[in-house]
Amino acid sequence: MNPVQLFHLEERKNRFRSPSFFFRILLLAFFVFTPFMFRSFEVLDVILKIIIFSVLVASYDVILGYTGIVSLGHVLYFGIGSYFVGIFMGKLGLTSYGHLALAFLIAILISGVLSVLIGLFSLRIRAIFFAMVTLAFMEFTFILSSQLRSITGGDDGISFKLPGILAIDFSYGKFLGIEFTGRLISYYLILLLSLILFLLMLRFVHSPVGRVLQSIRDNEQRSTALGYRTYLFQVIASSFASCVAAVMGGCFVIWVRYVSPDSSLSVSIMLDVLLMVIVGGMGTLYGSIFGAAFLMVTRAFLPKLQVIIASLLPGIPLAIRLSERWLFYFGLLFIVIVYFFPKGIVGTAQEIFARRKSN
Amino acid sequence: MVEPILKVEEIHTFIGKHHILQGVSFAVHPGKVTVLLGRNGAGKSTTLRSIMGLLPPSQGTINLKNRPIKGLKPYEISRLGIGFVPEDRGIYNLLTVEENFRVAMLQEDGKTRERMETIFDIFPDLKKFWKAKAGNLSGGQKQMLAIARPLVNQNELLLIDEPSKGLAPIIIDHIIDSIHMLKEYTVIILVEQNFYMASSLGNDFYLFDDGKTVHQGQMEELIQNEELKKKYLGISG
Repeated sequence: MNPVQLFHLEERKNRFRSPSFFFRILLLAFFVFTPFMFRSFEVLDVILKIIIFSVLVASYDVILGYTGIVSLGHVLYFGIGSYFVGIFMGKLGLTSYGHLALAFLIAILISGVLSVLIGLFSLRIRAIFFAMVTLAFMEFTFILSSQLRSITGGDDGISFKLPGILAIDFSYGKFLGIEFTGRLISYYLILLLSLILFLLMLRFVHSPVGRVLQSIRDNEQRSTALGYRTYLFQVIASSFASCVAAVMGGCFVIWVRYVSPDSSLSVSIMLDVLLMVIVGGMGTLYGSIFGAAFLMVTRAFLPKLQVIIASLLPGIPLAIRLSERWLFYFGLLFIVIVYFFPKGIVGTAQEIFARRKSN
Repeated sequence: MVEPILKVEEIHTFIGKHHILQGVSFAVHPGKVTVLLGRNGAGKSTTLRSIMGLLPPSQGTINLKNRPIKGLKPYEISRLGIGFVPEDRGIYNLLTVEENFRVAMLQEDGKTRERMETIFDIFPDLKKFWKAKAGNLSGGQKQMLAIARPLVNQNELLLIDEPSKGLAPIIIDHIIDSIHMLKEYTVIILVEQNFYMASSLGNDFYLFDDGKTVHQGQMEELIQNEELKKKYLGISG
């Protein structure tokens, strides 16, 4: 056996013994048992949004962190997924499972084709051009979704019901003291889809194509000189990521049962995705989970700081007034994270572990 | 006379408005190391980049085994069997040594394993640091990785730009030994400022001045010719 084969054998042996493997299992178990651990819908809602945004942010990480191209319109595909499910279910009244699957399929197809077209048109020229074009497309779609009232419901959006076991009023009975409603089934369906997509992305970035993408990120000209038509690889990455984003858009509206320009297509969602990828760590994929968790948890619970402080320190009005400024504390937290984790939470942790290992 | 593997004739290359190569011509023969020499800014590195298509020449011809390659894209030129080791080494710091090789491997054929064994024989350090991030290697190891990487493919020609740059003399000796071993497997064009390295490795030489090839010959002649060395390389004594 040559040294390279020995390395691979050792790697395979250690794969299931490493602390990171146990951590991943623990994380998955946490998401699976969340409905049993937390009975409040509010917590379940935050956890599921963390799951959805983790996958969306991971798909963005594939193009930003692994390929090195800046897209400012990745949420466009999330919006396409959201709207297709919303329009099929709410506007066209096509509410069977088949129609739901068809809505997903069309959204994936359109997202894939659109991202290939945008990529071929803009990635050949300059990376910054790609950022501008994607932003322009997203803005254009945002305006379109708010203007085409008859199809998209305009700014009011579309509310809808889901078929059969996904309907809110559906109940399968109790299991381990928990009632399995349509809401809970939706939770597990989305969790399963998210898990599949996340594993698919892991496979993608560790495949030969993924390696070429990382080489392009590190030194594009060098990869060209090694024999790669780099922009084609960038287009592949962008189109793969956009398909994942479209599925997550569909999942998001399955959960909230509502779609509008602000909830699925706005620039503020894009900024959130950017923040999440920075906080979690670019080029790590797992960082997306931490980034999404940071933003979702702080957004959900920091505004309640005032109530908590008021109950803990009822006689101190200054403390209550200070606790009103939750956005300020959110900003501070963000600065602290960026300062102490310059490569994001996972990126910095990986660096520290690698340094310890080499010592 | 043996047909040259690469023939460059009267190429002119611009970088922006600057006319860098103003008529470069040379031929590279099989089984030899051809060294391009000259002062800083003479156009040696630009010549290698022009051959690779990274700085496409505006005039002149470049033929690889009688096939014109001027105007082809860098990835097409690379796939014709030309490996390039740039001055900045161009290794992927965030990838491991293994991943650097895997990216360079355009296709895995029956001889890939054989070539990898050869690479490990010539550069044993790379075997030792196979799983290490390339960015954590020492300067000499990075240079070895950069030189070894194109060899995973069946490249007939290897362009190496300033392999001694920034390296300690003892490491330079090691790189010289490695390139000596490489001569068995591929034809080499070497751009080098370090005359010790150039004269240790080169069979043929071309002197560059102001973007033109001004002298050519066999390395032994240049070693003896103090006037040429002083005039074009600033070496005296």
